[in-house]
Amino acid sequence: MPKRKLHPLPSAAFQILLSLAGEDLHGYGIMRQVADQTDGRMRLGPGTLYSSIQTLLEEKFIEEVDLREDPKLGHERRRYYRLTAAGRKLARAEADRLADLLRVARAKKILRGDYV
Amino acid sequence: MSEKIYALLLRLYPSRFRAEYGGDALQLFRDRARDERGFFPTLRLWFDLLADFAISVPSEYFHAQPAFIVSSVRPHLDGTPSFFLLENESPRLGALLFGSVLSLLAIATVSVLNGHGASYRPLSALVAQSHPKAARSSAPGRLPRRSADSEQRILASRQPTNTANALIEGDAEPGSSQSSFLLMLRRFGLVKPQALQPGPESVARTTVESVILDPAERHRVIDGVIANLRKHYIDQDAARKMADELLAHEKRGDDDAVTDGEAFAGLLTRQMRNVSPDRHLALIYSQDPLPQNPTGPTAEELARYWEAMKQQNCTFEKVEILPGNIGYLKLNSFPDPSLCRPIAMAAMASLNHADVIVFDLRDNRGGEPAMVALLAAYLFDHPEYWYNPRENTTQQSWTFSPVPGNRLADKPVYVLTSARTFSGAEQFCYDLKMLKRATLVGETTGGAAHSGVFHRIDDHFGMGIPETRPINPYAKTDWAETGVEPDVKVKAADALETALKLAQTKLHKN
Repeated sequence: MPKRKLHPLPSAAFQILLSLAGEDLHGYGIMRQVADQTDGRMRLGPGTLYSSIQTLLEEKFIEEVDLREDPKLGHERRRYYRLTAAGRKLARAEADRLADLLRVARAKKILRGDYV
Repeated sequence: MSEKIYALLLRLYPSRFRAEYGGDALQLFRDRARDERGFFPTLRLWFDLLADFAISVPSEYFHAQPAFIVSSVRPHLDGTPSFFLLENESPRLGALLFGSVLSLLAIATVSVLNGHGASYRPLSALVAQSHPKAARSSAPGRLPRRSADSEQRILASRQPTNTANALIEGDAEPGSSQSSFLLMLRRFGLVKPQALQPGPESVARTTVESVILDPAERHRVIDGVIANLRKHYIDQDAARKMADELLAHEKRGDDDAVTDGEAFAGLLTRQMRNVSPDRHLALIYSQDPLPQNPTGPTAEELARYWEAMKQQNCTFEKVEILPGNIGYLKLNSFPDPSLCRPIAMAAMASLNHADVIVFDLRDNRGGEPAMVALLAAYLFDHPEYWYNPRENTTQQSWTFSPVPGNRLADKPVYVLTSARTFSGAEQFCYDLKMLKRATLVGETTGGAAHSGVFHRIDDHFGMGIPETRPINPYAKTDWAETGVEPDVKVKAADALETALKLAQTKLHKN
């Protein structure tokens, strides 16, 4: 059986992990948070979003919290997701990896300025 | 509206994904649709969704196979096979119902096809069949069925004319399925009545009244008989005498009263036998037109015969050990050993430890002399002279005994017979009886020795003429016309019971 791979971490999964770093979110919340943190470049469609969530759940990088209403979005009960310790570690490792890349890019004068 | 479209599109995902996240995905769509109003946002929404479908649907299917629920079964134990479960829950009722209906349909289809497969014939075979050819050789089981039929019709010396039905009862008559098929085609307007040559049956029906012998016709038949006698009969002196006799009878007007073909054939046969008392010499009348240009079976016919043999386990219908360690073998023909030897040997081997052997030949229509000899070989511990009236003394006339590993050579043998026991099966009975190797139980056999070679005279007359004179070590006559008398005469239906009683009595005595 082909298993969904998180190595290397797909950018959608990484963005989801990052979106959950601050607070627990439901699916639409994650989608909006990801859109925000990428300046609208990444709008996760439902299929991509939930298949990534499924994979992350299976690998225990995130977990389901509970069903509750989002007061801003009406009375529908929604599933909320939370980052686990392992998920936080994974996100940090990915961020470190990207930071390493950035260092290299800077050393090679590919990246101008030092705002990151 | 758009939500409904999206709900429909969601069905593209694998069912497991839909069950888990379908509601959430729809909810997300609603949220976005609510938040992103206006022409361009809606356009962007659908663009996003379609792109999402394009990427995630294939990937979901690629990953769709659910993880095995390994925990619910024990792991492998030293190569012991075990099962992995894909689903924890039992299938839904609807799925079970659908599955059972589908299985029932499949089973019904297979059984219906099994039942009707035998009568199915491709159209090409059908057309070929309307130009019947017959083979010259002489036993029902040794040739493809069609040739065997026409041959039986011709050569069975006991009932030369009305044989087609009597001889083939129990068998699927190819002719009948053919005519019903033709009828069907005609009914649907697919074939004009004259488009295909009519089968033998319909010809027979139309010609029954038309064949009334006039003097010219009778003379032509007598000429044909005489020509064939001069050409083929082993005893040329007798042939000349018979010719003179036939002509003398004709001249005296002895034949004038006879206008019926069958009666005429019988009359001429009697006239010939008055000169040379030879039971294998016969003039035969057939209502059905006799086939022209007899040739051997074609490759196609042989293939069909082999296929039929395979399907019928070479006509070894039953091989079993009955209570009292009595080996019972029901054999319905003596099939060609080149194909059926392994099955024959396996059948005999499975009876090897029986104390008595019962051969049930009540439905046996004969077959290959080689198979008759092959089976007989198991009943002797030394090569035994095996009389075959169809051939001169050859290697085949000796059984290949002893058979290695065989333990049946000294076991009591019972052979069950009926009036339908025919030809090669009668040889089996006759020789075992003459060798005092078997007790025959049942009815007098059919009486088809088939030892003459058939020569066609015209559409309705032909004659069997013996071309060889094998040495019969037992008696002056064989079973031609008279059949083989059983040792214990009972109705065929009671033969098995009687034989089993006899066998048990014999076993207890020993």
